Amino acid sequence: MRLSHTLKSASFKLTAAYAGLFALSVSILAALTYFSVTGELSGEFHSRIRSESQALQSDYLAGGVPQILRTIGERQRGRLADGLDYSLWDRAGHHLFGYLPNVPCKAGWTILTGPPDGDEAPGELEKLQLYVTPLGAQACLLVGDDWGKVETFGGLILKTFAWIFLLSLTMAIAGGIFLSSRFLKRIDSITKTAEAIIEGDMTRRVPRRSAPDDLDRLAATLNRMLDRNTGLMESLKHLSNDIAHDLRTPLGRLRQLLDSARHERPSTEEYRALLDRGVGELDTILEMFAALLRIAQIESGSRRAGFQRFCLSRLVSDVCEAFAPALEEDGRSLKQDIAPDIWIHGDPELLTLSLANLLENANTHTPHLAEITVSITKSGGGVELCVADNGPGVPPEDSARIFQRFYRLEESRTTSGNGLGLSIVAAVAELHSANIFASDNHPGLRVGMTFALAA
Amino acid sequence: MSILLVEDEEALASYLKAELGSHGHVVEHVARGDLAYETARDSDYDLLVVDRMLPGLDGLSLIQRLRKQNTKTPVLFLSNLGGLDDRVEGLNAGADDYLAKPFAFSELLARVNALLRRPANMNEQPHTLRLGEFELDRIKRKLTRAGTSIPLQPREWALFEYLLLRRGQIVTRTMLLEGVWGYHFDPKTHIVETHMSRLRSKVGDDVIQTIRGSGYIIRAPQSHA
Repeated sequence: MRLSHTLKSASFKLTAAYAGLFALSVSILAALTYFSVTGELSGEFHSRIRSESQALQSDYLAGGVPQILRTIGERQRGRLADGLDYSLWDRAGHHLFGYLPNVPCKAGWTILTGPPDGDEAPGELEKLQLYVTPLGAQACLLVGDDWGKVETFGGLILKTFAWIFLLSLTMAIAGGIFLSSRFLKRIDSITKTAEAIIEGDMTRRVPRRSAPDDLDRLAATLNRMLDRNTGLMESLKHLSNDIAHDLRTPLGRLRQLLDSARHERPSTEEYRALLDRGVGELDTILEMFAALLRIAQIESGSRRAGFQRFCLSRLVSDVCEAFAPALEEDGRSLKQDIAPDIWIHGDPELLTLSLANLLENANTHTPHLAEITVSITKSGGGVELCVADNGPGVPPEDSARIFQRFYRLEESRTTSGNGLGLSIVAAVAELHSANIFASDNHPGLRVGMTFALAA
Repeated sequence: MSILLVEDEEALASYLKAELGSHGHVVEHVARGDLAYETARDSDYDLLVVDRMLPGLDGLSLIQRLRKQNTKTPVLFLSNLGGLDDRVEGLNAGADDYLAKPFAFSELLARVNALLRRPANMNEQPHTLRLGEFELDRIKRKLTRAGTSIPLQPREWALFEYLLLRRGQIVTRTMLLEGVWGYHFDPKTHIVETHMSRLRSKVGDDVIQTIRGSGYIIRAPQSHA
């Protein structure tokens, strides 16, 4: 099972292909070496015998048979014969010299076989190649050598290459198995982690190695993805908890209203009042859902298609103009510090909604006589839209969380609002690639967004 | 006035039919979009109230098809809760007004009445609007009462003009937010109320009445004898 798995792995296939290619190149190299070396050897073998035969033939022409015998004798004495065998027969078939058998006296090559002399492959006979030179009408000269020497050398080359071939192939395959099993082990650990996560253990992460490589980078990326998913799941879980929690209160009150309407036999007047309160509770719930749906729609990014260039300064001062009387009636003063003629690319309707939410947020969370300042400032390459107040502010550790859905400070639990206003602001900022911020106004809260300035 | 109500939610449809009927409208109800198309094409209604989600043919396509057929009947488009883009889509398709579900009946009634009484083109309204002693010059942007000029802030002026163009009709808070401020959301802040009280303090308490639970109405005050 394990082996077949290994054999099927991509890395092993690659190794096998590599080993095959290597084997093929070793074979070609072996063939080339074999043919060129044996060709060279046999050429030399033949030319040596022929030139010796020619030399002896000239001796014969100079001094007849006795001259040949003399030369051969000299060579053999001086160990110059170089392993060559000589024989001389007369035309009548009488043996004159040497051990080579008589053959038909016709110029050319003849192959003789004889009993093995030790350098042949087992079961093979001794092979002699003879060159026959007729010497006039008198005699026949035979010069030969052991052909087995050439064949043995060729065989040796082939044998050596066969060993090289076997060795390299074995190493390639073994290496392939080793490397791919190591690789597979790490793939397996990723698979196992994934399976554990599917089973429900969200805390599992792909094990990392100290030496960073491709797989390690993959593991790191996977782990980051898992962290993000876990984070999103957590926030989703929180969100549904929060929705359930925030729904329970108005629904509970509604139920109580209906209950008392049923049991207490109210007068028509009281009945109307109960109904009005019931509708009020329902409106709270519907408003919450509308806000949630609105956030989802803003986050979907579909509104980006309707982006246009518009004057932010104008929009902000219009909103301030609309809100100022109501805020003043609530006992807040609204100050404006708006840089003129700032144009941005975006959705004016959503930015109006965001600014309204920021103003309402400031209005809700500040005491009577508080001062609210709306400002647009150019800073660096961007534009900052900010609503600041001098109310109680938000503890620094909570300032990032005020944009979370349903987030409300403990002190604000009793005030109206659903904890979604600033989430809408955050979603709108995100849609505009603007950065939201919330900081201390010493005292109070500064909250807003920074846009990259339209070119 | 005859109204064709295109709504597949039976409970809502029969409620609206009864309520609109009790306010003097003749309501015919169709639950399918494709049937509504044929009905609206073949008969002459004063107003169509069209839901977005419909079997057969959805509300948007229904309105588009009718507009292609050159049907001029005003259309009130009912959109879904939180559907931020529904309004734009509805108006682009050819609807004259939109209302997000769920709504208060008083809101629907005010809008139905506004559409039924709306002249074909608001811009064809006279340059000078008169109501009792009031005279509103829309070119010079001047308001006078019995010859005395009343200075108004731009938004107060827009508010007064909006009411005056719909004299005798109930105008809801949402209609004012949309028509005067262009706000398609409902701020918690009492924007309309505070501007209204400032306007009243300038033009007099007697001309704009508050209809509890519904909205505002502008009526000619009893002229001073």
